[in-house]
Amino acid sequence: MNLLLQGLALGVLTGGLYALLASGLSLYFGVMRVVMVAHPAFLFLAAYLTYTVHTTLGLDPFLALPLTVPLFFALGVAVQRLLIARLAPENMAMMSVLLTFGIALTIEGLLGTFYTGSYKSVSMEYATRSLTIGGVHLPYDKIIAFWVAAITLLVLFAVLIKSRFGQSLRATIQHREAARLVGIQTERVAGYGFGVGLATAAVGGTVLALITPFFPASHWVWIGKLMAIIVVGGLGSVVGAALAAVLLGVVEGLVLVTVDATWATIMFYVFLFLTLLARPQGFFGGRLAHRF
Amino acid sequence: MTSLRTEGLSKSFGGVLAVDGATVELREGKINGLIGPNGSGKTTFFNLITGMIRPDAGRVLYRDRDITRHSPHRIAHAGIGRTFQLCRVFPRMTVLENMLVAVRRTRLRELLAGLRDKGEVERARHWLRRMGIEHLEDAEARDLSYGQQKLLELAAVLMAEPELVLLDEPAGGVNPALIDRIVSLVRDLNAEGRTFLVVEHNMDMVMGMCDHVIVFDRGAPIAEGPPSAVRDDPKVLEAYLGV
Amino acid sequence: MRIASRGLPPLVAGLAIAYPFLVPNYYLVYAGALTVMYAAMATSWNLLGGFTGYVSLGHSAFFGLGAYGTGLLVTRMDVPWVVALLVSALLVTVFAVGVGIAAVRVRGASFVIVSIALVSMMNLIVQGWRSLTGGSTGLQVPSPFPDLHRGETHMVFFYLFLALLALALASWWYVSRSRFGAGLRAIREDEDKAESLGVPTGAYKVTAFALSALFVALAGGLYALWFGSLDPIFVFSILIASSMVLMSLLGGVRHLFGPLLGALIVAPAGEYFLIALGETQIHLTATGLVLVLVVLFMPDGILARFSRRRAGPSIPDETAEQRLQGVAP
Ligand SMILES: Nc1ncnc2c1ncn2[C@@H]1O[C@H](COP(=O)(O)OP(=O)(O)O)[C@@H](O)[C@H]1O
Ligand SMILES: [Mg+2]
Repeated sequence: MNLLLQGLALGVLTGGLYALLASGLSLYFGVMRVVMVAHPAFLFLAAYLTYTVHTTLGLDPFLALPLTVPLFFALGVAVQRLLIARLAPENMAMMSVLLTFGIALTIEGLLGTFYTGSYKSVSMEYATRSLTIGGVHLPYDKIIAFWVAAITLLVLFAVLIKSRFGQSLRATIQHREAARLVGIQTERVAGYGFGVGLATAAVGGTVLALITPFFPASHWVWIGKLMAIIVVGGLGSVVGAALAAVLLGVVEGLVLVTVDATWATIMFYVFLFLTLLARPQGFFGGRLAHRF
Repeated sequence: MTSLRTEGLSKSFGGVLAVDGATVELREGKINGLIGPNGSGKTTFFNLITGMIRPDAGRVLYRDRDITRHSPHRIAHAGIGRTFQLCRVFPRMTVLENMLVAVRRTRLRELLAGLRDKGEVERARHWLRRMGIEHLEDAEARDLSYGQQKLLELAAVLMAEPELVLLDEPAGGVNPALIDRIVSLVRDLNAEGRTFLVVEHNMDMVMGMCDHVIVFDRGAPIAEGPPSAVRDDPKVLEAYLGV
Repeated sequence: MRIASRGLPPLVAGLAIAYPFLVPNYYLVYAGALTVMYAAMATSWNLLGGFTGYVSLGHSAFFGLGAYGTGLLVTRMDVPWVVALLVSALLVTVFAVGVGIAAVRVRGASFVIVSIALVSMMNLIVQGWRSLTGGSTGLQVPSPFPDLHRGETHMVFFYLFLALLALALASWWYVSRSRFGAGLRAIREDEDKAESLGVPTGAYKVTAFALSALFVALAGGLYALWFGSLDPIFVFSILIASSMVLMSLLGGVRHLFGPLLGALIVAPAGEYFLIALGETQIHLTATGLVLVLVVLFMPDGILARFSRRRAGPSIPDETAEQRLQGVAP
């Protein structure tokens, strides 16, 4: 029983990070109908940058954020404006996957060359302790990760709902032509949307560096996990993605404590395939799934 | 004899009731017209009949066989062919290849038969000749004009030997000379024993061509009868003028 | 399309058959065998990707399963290698039918994602199932030709892969001129329209998927017998699948010899990188960059450049009307 509670708690805590990362994917898909396979590769790029900042300057990993967040925002705008926008619209969905897949390979190769293929990790003194509530151990690093992810998500939602930029972005997502007609510069907005998406990857990367060791090829596992989350959640549904993220995080946590890590990861694919067989459009809305 | 019958066919998209309990009967061997204001659910009705979307309720019967929820290719095999409102051909295939996609049966021998199978190519050429586009057989479909593409689409549908043909706005976006051509084609094909259901906004065409006209408004038939009677029906005027 | 017609294919085929005797050393025979293996796999991939437009990044799953299936049958059950190869490929094909039924329910980008998931999952399972597969330490497969020295083995496998390539090319060619192939192409162009014309698209897609998996599995099985040592991280790596995709796209997915041409460029380049730079990860970057460039600037591949149709709509409207007036009763 205690074990299950432990798994549940861990699952919820990791689910927060999954939700943050999956929301980035939903954002790209919303603004450009692009499935951004390189999102986890950028995530690990951010993790490595955090590692460098931490090891060379001896700073707290979170102090990397003022550097990585603007940098990734700019990278996102550049990727959208210089690469994605060039693709011919008729085969956009497929070609964008291949394009971002190429970007992911490029990043992985660079990381492997500069940092070698061995595991790296960032360990802080506060990350090694854990909070114990009624027999359930909650490591501080996971708690911190959860709150950083949750706060970033809240900020993201606030920006999307409250700000002028957010309104333009949502208008662009809902109806591009109409948005253009009312004077929104949809191209520019789409670029910024990409920037914001990658900025969330920067935050995610720092969090990730704190909670787990990483090596260049680990982004593949994350592609699989995140894709499973957005397929289960229903593509294009930010709320669906968040719910599926927590759900799958919990399933992962429970399997992790009761069986082993391999099966915990396999559960993502099991859910992915079951979703496809039962409801290809996803379980939480996902009106756009069939077009994606 | 009844060719196709729908019973209480319904489909809604979100809050929009696109087709609302439509009960319609088509007579075998006739040219049936389907008219109605934009958005009255005519295209959705076609999609429901041909299995492209699934109805929320209701049934579709073709020659007294229930074909509700059959997959589109099975419905095609049963003998129902259709064209699309915005004409759809396979743009990066040649005209002849477009023709050879359609299959009425999927027996192994047919599937493995070469694209240059004499009998089938002859059949394809026959239909292309009747449409007047046989000289284009080696052109890629995307290089054809819109009118030519519409003719190709119809020819490819006929390749599958349908007994019931649904045409969604065959005169939409084509020049007047071609409209006359299409009307006479439909008449000829009908004389050979094919049943038609034609959605059309061109009233001259509907009145001149159809034996029987069904009027749709808000997803259901509100009137039907011979063209002249339907034209003078006050309910129809009301639907069109939106009074 | 006709560039490669007449004389070129027999010439290339002749050169390929003579290749092991033309090169000065066994390393080049080895590199040649590797290139032909990739050409065979890319051509098989194109049975699905080229016809239907369903881009699979998961075909390394079939490669790896074919390899492990063959290896396990040989080591655990003492089956003769030819039988092991064929049985394993058959099992993988059956598996592919099952996976295909689930996978082709989604289109476009979703399908790519599902295919990525497939290979990741297989990788995890094979690594996790230690008792059967040896886990991440790998699986040793005895050589089917213990009496030959290493160089001669390369030579034998060069011809085995060449035969597989010929088989894959012949299949592609045969499908391309069948009505089944016309149906598959129609799926690429407009799937719903194809359905409405009576094409059972689901069955077509699953068939193409399984057929393409079959040849990739055979390549995997031959690879296992050739290399004699299987590393799950390599055989189930997404890199193998991306090579198939890159080669096909680069050469041209609409052309019989497109994937072969792509393989002739990409595989030797990869080997060259390995020699020039050693075991670094920079070849991933090179692959990635080339993929980005191909997608951006040459999505139809090299061969499309040679078969360019006349630019723009070549058939004016007037012609149609004139013709129609000629035909009108
Ligand atoms: N795929 C769809 N999603 C949402 N609404 C749809 C869809 N298809 C049709 N509709 C709506 O259903 C109604 C009927 O449309 P349609 O069948 O195209 O009418 P018609 O062909 O008579 O002009 C319209 O209000 C239209 O907006
Ligand atoms: Mg319509």
